[in-house]
Amino acid sequence: MTEQNNIKVSIRNLYKIFGTDPQAALEHVRGGLGKPELLEQHGHVLGLQDINVDIRAGEITVIMGLSGSGKSTLIRHLNRLIEPTAGEILVNGEDVLAYDATKLDALRQNTMSMVFQKFALFPHRTVLENAGMARRVRGENAKAADKEGQKWLDRVGLSGYGGHYPNQLSGGMQQRVGIARALASDSEIMLMDEAFSALDPLIRTDMQDLLLELQRELHKTIIFITHDLDEALKLADHLVILKDGAVVQQGEPQEILLHPNDPYIMDFIADINRARVLRVRSVMEVTTDPGTNIAGDVDANSNLERVIALSEGDTNLNYRVMEDGAQVGLLHMRDLVRALVPVEASDPARRLAS
Amino acid sequence: MAFYDGLIETLGLSNWCGEADAGGGGPVTMAELLARANGGGAGAPEPDVPLLETPFPSLDTLHRSCDAIPRTRDMTEAVEQGFLNIKDGLKFVLDPLTTPLGWLLDASLDLFQATPWFIMIPLLMLLTWVTARSVGVLVLVTLSFLFMAFIDHYNEAIQTLSIIFVCTIFSVVLGVPIGIAMSKSNTMQRIAIPILDMLQTLPTFVYLIPLIFLFSVTESKLYGIAIILYAIVPVIRLTDLGIRLVDKDVIEAADAFGMSNWQKLTGVQVPLALPNIMAGINQTIMMSLAMVVIASLVSAPGLGRLVLRGINNLELGVGLVAGFCIVLLAVLLDRATKAALGRINSSEQ
Repeated sequence: MTEQNNIKVSIRNLYKIFGTDPQAALEHVRGGLGKPELLEQHGHVLGLQDINVDIRAGEITVIMGLSGSGKSTLIRHLNRLIEPTAGEILVNGEDVLAYDATKLDALRQNTMSMVFQKFALFPHRTVLENAGMARRVRGENAKAADKEGQKWLDRVGLSGYGGHYPNQLSGGMQQRVGIARALASDSEIMLMDEAFSALDPLIRTDMQDLLLELQRELHKTIIFITHDLDEALKLADHLVILKDGAVVQQGEPQEILLHPNDPYIMDFIADINRARVLRVRSVMEVTTDPGTNIAGDVDANSNLERVIALSEGDTNLNYRVMEDGAQVGLLHMRDLVRALVPVEASDPARRLAS
Repeated sequence: MAFYDGLIETLGLSNWCGEADAGGGGPVTMAELLARANGGGAGAPEPDVPLLETPFPSLDTLHRSCDAIPRTRDMTEAVEQGFLNIKDGLKFVLDPLTTPLGWLLDASLDLFQATPWFIMIPLLMLLTWVTARSVGVLVLVTLSFLFMAFIDHYNEAIQTLSIIFVCTIFSVVLGVPIGIAMSKSNTMQRIAIPILDMLQTLPTFVYLIPLIFLFSVTESKLYGIAIILYAIVPVIRLTDLGIRLVDKDVIEAADAFGMSNWQKLTGVQVPLALPNIMAGINQTIMMSLAMVVIASLVSAPGLGRLVLRGINNLELGVGLVAGFCIVLLAVLLDRATKAALGRINSSEQ
């Protein structure tokens, strides 16, 4: 996404502490107390500590972490379903935390929509009514809401299901309704809280493809929460990795994969299929030099798996890397193979096992 | 000479006791009369009480040793006086508040009775069909009313039904908002639950006692209040429960899309709590039917009065037949509301 690099949502020094006296506990945390110590000595749970993330317009920002890492807490701060202990959240340059109830409702109705892990559709409303819900909340008449709802139901592939009730649909279909509901609000920002985690693996892949397809067309600012690294790498333009309520590393997913800066992340990425995730542009030599012994052209954004298939395993070949019809670099198969070796895991037990 | 004389003396309370009127005001108890009749002289020494028969130091026992300690009878009298003292103030507040209830009860009774049977029974059938949509229930209702009319109990049955009708409406109109308030605030819930517990466990006759003093027995609102107090509990409880049971995820979604509290309440919470609220209304109807029989003691018309006649005059047959009609009424009200409840439940699946 090169056309729009402006920052849509900005999270600054965000802290969240759960307990009876979070402000006092905040002082301890700022004084350098960690999560386990805070729980042991003061009985407060450190939910988030010093989060700084910039979310660019038109990109998918994936926040990844294991359960308990605070990712669901973080996303709920953006529309203030949870109030922070300290920090700032700027949306379009305005501090959301300073909003009163009316402005907050307006933000939730117009600027942000949300997709939930457990779908959270209204069971007493039909699929069509659910899809047009955001419009109804805003006070638009039923006809306009239904028209918009139907448009997005068609778009997510649920054309004939408007009259059904949510319980009559399968999980994957219910989440399509959830996505249609969020899209029908026509908000710039979409929050997706583990939106696909409750679905079967095959359906999950379908939904990821659907999301990417919609995103190519709509260029929404999407904040996507997941605990699944494969999903994160597939969707992310910008990847934020959370551990124990703090950001461990953030950046371009390819960059994190090739240069993990934390043993936690190294452990995390040790088991993934690098050939499928890494892309040619990440391992190529950036040059416009025509090079010698060129076996053919490859696209900068195709993954390494495809190149290996193309080369039939021959490591002596070189490929010209093309993007938008012009050469952007050279790919040496030796570099490619070297990139497939993961950065060594830090955990000694794992090292022994492998 | 009474058992606790020694104790009073040891505690040095003799003077305090003596100051009180030694004659012991108030009516004389039967036991005292008997003692006097048996010629027990005031100074005659009583035989020692064996240890195993030691009396509990109750008010009455202590009074025998010390006149300053009131008897139990004095205590109940004080409670009565206390109630009578606040009665006027209470009546001043409650009377205007409850007058509409009286009007409605009377108007509804008049209307139900003025409507001829050949209009009333089809109307009831229509109502049953609209709410329950069940042929079985419709047949049950029709046959029951025809049967009661045939044995000349139609008028009483329709009076009972009219009272239940008005009291249920009042219970729902008051109970649902109270239940909603309870579900919104934990403090409110903590305050309300003991009151509801008390209303539910207080013996039904006990309700009637203060009400008889407050209002005249001839006023219809007297039994109206008694029935509503008793029957309102389930609808409050189940409204509270139903709203608290609404899926947290759905509420979060409502919040995330910027619904106002009112939109959330009317568009999400109450509709999703409706099966529970309806179950509460069903219970409320059943309980008002139970109470309307007891309320016949305070002039509530209807089948209960026939039961009361059966008891008072030992007219076994009158009481039994009226009792059977009450059961019939209970069954058909229960089936009709349950069928309506089932319809709500199935529409949400």
